[in-house]
Amino acid sequence: MSAPPLLLGAALLFWGWQTELFLAGAVAALLLEAGRLISWRFAFSHDDLKRVWSVCTILFLGMAGYLALTTNVQGATRAVLTMFQWYPLAVLPMIAAQLYSTAGTIDLSTLFLTVRRKDTTPGLRPARTIDLSYPYFALCLLSASASYVWGPWFYIGLCLLLAWPLWVVRSKTFSPLLWAGVLASVAVLGYVGHLGVHNLQRSLERNLIAWFAGLSGDRVDPYQTHTAIGSIGTVKLSDRIVLRLDSGGRDQTSLLLREASYNRYYDAMWFARDPSFQAVPSEPDGTTWTVRSGPASGRSVTVYAHLKGGRGILALPNSVVQIEELAVGSMKQNRLGAVHVEEGPGLITYGIRSGGDASRDSPPGARDLSIPEAEAPVIARIAADLGLRSQPPREILRTVAGFFQTDFQYSTFQADASVKRTALSEFLLRSRAGHCEYFATATVLLLRAAGIPARYAIGYSVQEFSDLEDLYVVRARHAHSWALVYVDGAWQNFDTTPVSWVQIEQEAAPWWERLYDVWSWGAFRFSKWRWSEREGGLSTYVGWLLIPLFVILAWRLYFVKRVARAGPEEQRHSVLCPLAGEDSEFRLIEQRLQELGVSRHPWEPLSRWVERLEVSQPWMGAADSLQRILRLHYRYRFDPNGLSLAERESLRVRVQEWLERLDHRPASHESGQVTL
Amino acid sequence: MKRVLYPYLRLVSSIQYWMQRRFTKAGLLVLTGLVASAVLGLDTTRTMAYQVFTFLFCLLMVSLAFSLSFRARLAVERILPQFGTVGQPLSYRIRVHNRDHRALRGLTLLEDLIDPRPSREEFVRTPEPGEERRNRFDRAVGYPRWRWLISRNRTAVIEEHALPSIPAQGLGEVLAGCVPSRRGQVRFAGVTVARPDPFGLFKGFVSVPLPQNVLIIPKRYVLPQIQLPGTRRYQHGGVALASSVGDSDEFVSLREYRPGDPLRHIHWKSWARVGKPIVKEHQSEFFVRHALILDTFQEAEHSDVFEEAVSVAASFACTVRTQESLLDLMFVGPEAYCETVGRGLGRTDTLLKVLACVRPCTNRPFESLHHLIIERSASLSGCICIFLSWDDARQNLIKNLHVLDIPTLVLIITEADMPLALAPGPMTATTQGFHRLEVGKIQEGLANL
Repeated sequence: MSAPPLLLGAALLFWGWQTELFLAGAVAALLLEAGRLISWRFAFSHDDLKRVWSVCTILFLGMAGYLALTTNVQGATRAVLTMFQWYPLAVLPMIAAQLYSTAGTIDLSTLFLTVRRKDTTPGLRPARTIDLSYPYFALCLLSASASYVWGPWFYIGLCLLLAWPLWVVRSKTFSPLLWAGVLASVAVLGYVGHLGVHNLQRSLERNLIAWFAGLSGDRVDPYQTHTAIGSIGTVKLSDRIVLRLDSGGRDQTSLLLREASYNRYYDAMWFARDPSFQAVPSEPDGTTWTVRSGPASGRSVTVYAHLKGGRGILALPNSVVQIEELAVGSMKQNRLGAVHVEEGPGLITYGIRSGGDASRDSPPGARDLSIPEAEAPVIARIAADLGLRSQPPREILRTVAGFFQTDFQYSTFQADASVKRTALSEFLLRSRAGHCEYFATATVLLLRAAGIPARYAIGYSVQEFSDLEDLYVVRARHAHSWALVYVDGAWQNFDTTPVSWVQIEQEAAPWWERLYDVWSWGAFRFSKWRWSEREGGLSTYVGWLLIPLFVILAWRLYFVKRVARAGPEEQRHSVLCPLAGEDSEFRLIEQRLQELGVSRHPWEPLSRWVERLEVSQPWMGAADSLQRILRLHYRYRFDPNGLSLAERESLRVRVQEWLERLDHRPASHESGQVTL
Repeated sequence: MKRVLYPYLRLVSSIQYWMQRRFTKAGLLVLTGLVASAVLGLDTTRTMAYQVFTFLFCLLMVSLAFSLSFRARLAVERILPQFGTVGQPLSYRIRVHNRDHRALRGLTLLEDLIDPRPSREEFVRTPEPGEERRNRFDRAVGYPRWRWLISRNRTAVIEEHALPSIPAQGLGEVLAGCVPSRRGQVRFAGVTVARPDPFGLFKGFVSVPLPQNVLIIPKRYVLPQIQLPGTRRYQHGGVALASSVGDSDEFVSLREYRPGDPLRHIHWKSWARVGKPIVKEHQSEFFVRHALILDTFQEAEHSDVFEEAVSVAASFACTVRTQESLLDLMFVGPEAYCETVGRGLGRTDTLLKVLACVRPCTNRPFESLHHLIIERSASLSGCICIFLSWDDARQNLIKNLHVLDIPTLVLIITEADMPLALAPGPMTATTQGFHRLEVGKIQEGLANL
């Protein structure tokens, strides 16, 4: 069953409107609907249609290839959706071939290889055909839905477009009024349903985003972080290089790159309360993102980082204003300064423009002064011992820094602790040795006890310059935590971990680290080439690769035989290609004899039939025998040189004479005809 | 592995069957759209496909609800012919009595056939022809085999038929039909009357049990007028076997004409005298008796070659004129069979019924057929042998028949892609009676007999 007039055109216009390809949709609609006004059709053979389908496949693969090559801009998910949005264009040659073909349908074996394999023996199986118009209509609607244009118009258009074919295929058992009423109910139910589904997802996102983040493999969870506070034994991190940083050469000042910060501590875990992520709009160039308002200096550093699954948290300095040349699909930032990106390539490169002392974090609140009850007595006691309450903020910072620098040691090993105290209290009161999480947590809580808003930050400390790569490399063991303090109206880094931690971590490096670095450098160079190549010349020219495909399609269409279709009767004849000698007058003899009941057996060749007739009816062989006429007929039918005009005329005259003689044969002959 | 997968394949087939019957084509398209939009609309903040999903979901749910409301009190009668033929349209009538007090409109009718799904043992033990050429996954899972077994067990596929409007307490009749694809029996279990929902997507059913069978006889080819080899032989007990007493030169008596008597036996003078046809009776001792030998010996449970051999045998059974001669159909199934027709003894349809049900013999040697033929060779005028191969055992049979001076017509049915020509062997002296028929070109081969 084919789609009613204008339905495909309307669907294509709707698709073009939703996917912002209106011009392509309008042209495609015009192409398909014009077929109803034009009478000529193509006599596509099965092989022609297979070629058209091959062109569709190549178009599809070309689109997929193009999107794969430019996926660093769009992101993998968006690329898949875009490919689906473009799919009606890829299938357009096939549906056009169907609508402009004399058959009006497509053999299933054209589309499916499995059916083609089954139908290898011609004649044994009737051809299974399909009308692609309704599937194409459905494809247009689904492709239109792959875009995201918020508002009621998509749903309204969808209901109207679906009501059209539903009216055509409706059951005549029920009244049109009932049909309309039920359809209206369905539309209302669908509307309520899709609002419910949408709200359900938003609710799930709100409550389970942390779970999703863990599922997708994000290393940093912007909502909470487990510390190793209280863990017994040695804390050991990997030597894998996770970041590279280009600051234009060796720079002696160390840099802290923050990934996330947290404002609530409880039982060796830090949590981010009410972080509420907000989307960060990109600048018109699509790769520049402003995360904080304010004047920006020139680019300070360029960071290279791997993104697992195309999404992750960016490591950024505290004073970042703008991120440049970052090819990701979307960016979100929470109130505590964590920047989450999605739809990025495997390796991202971004430049950082910093400015001033201000940070991107939200102003301090009550949570930034809270101290957990379990830690409060010890913290209060130490704060009192240090006399923090009576000091100005800058002096407090100096006191606290001095407290940790003089009385504490950096250690990645923790012995068994007292069960009576918390791990942090044990660190502050007895062991006085720990890794950075102890120092950062204790610092934050002490500062809060002194009335200075403070947060716990995690990220990396940039400290190792690689002569091999001429870049700073950041390893997993360089992961660090420190405090953020709100002093002088701005959030500032405050790191109290003894500087010896850098040396201690360096000494823990294995002997094969150099070898690993060489391998890692090679892999990095390859990744950089791979992704930077897409941004360069190749992706610009990928579109041109599609041109040969269209040329092939046009060539195939141009050389296919075109036949006129004036009416249904003529069309039927045009489907069967006329055979040479089809108009031979010998057919009249065959037809006349058949009327007389002297029919040829299905397996009997004409020559054998004529022999049989002349034996049983000798009068047929007299004068101008059937054999002679048959020889002329055979030559007309099969001789590549055909008949001369005189011979052609001779065939015509002889047949006429033979038929006249048959009609005027003697009665004695007539009586025996039926017994032949 | 096939044993483990069997219940899952059964389940998949059940779902497919249910969907094909319950959904209209438009409904299947909507269902496909529903699945596609569900996948596409997983993230409601990226695409609008979730709106398509909810609309289609509601549409199908409403359709489903409407289908549950279909009720009708019906009585159905199916009027079947005695036989159908493979490849030929089989038409029959179905009468539907509406016992309700309201008219029924816009209904369709579906036939419920016996479940064609194979048993677990059948599935495990019956390989599909050509299965060895399939890839390892297909061979291990056996889905192509499953599909093939279902199509083999399903003798015919009967399309849905539209029912005319049936008035309250009235009668509607529909001319149903199908084209049987295999010989055997079409087994009906019942009739289902369906009503689509207002959108024409999903159907509500009312089923009426109505078990019936119809026999599908093999496909038959057109044979040229052939002169069967052989001369008349003495028939032991021939008098008892024939309706007319015989046709030797020794005149016995006169009797009234019976259908099937040769015209040349009519005694014209007596007819003129009595006023009704009278025929001469002769001493019955000699008449022609041909054997139609069907080779059933193959390892596979099914093959196209075997099916074509059965069709060729059926073609001969229909074409050989049995008014004046006898025809013995010989083959070996679970036991050795010899079915005789001709000269009023039996009718051709008896042979066709037998051929409709003949199955390959996988557990006995060819020699069992050899013995059957040799036992009866004394009375045979000639043999038409339809073989599935041309090996030593079959050639030995032909040699023995030649020794016994029984002329033979040998037809070897082979696969279409068998490249080599067959050596005539014992048929070298009489190559005009030796023919190879390729599957797919059987009719052309028979035309050259």
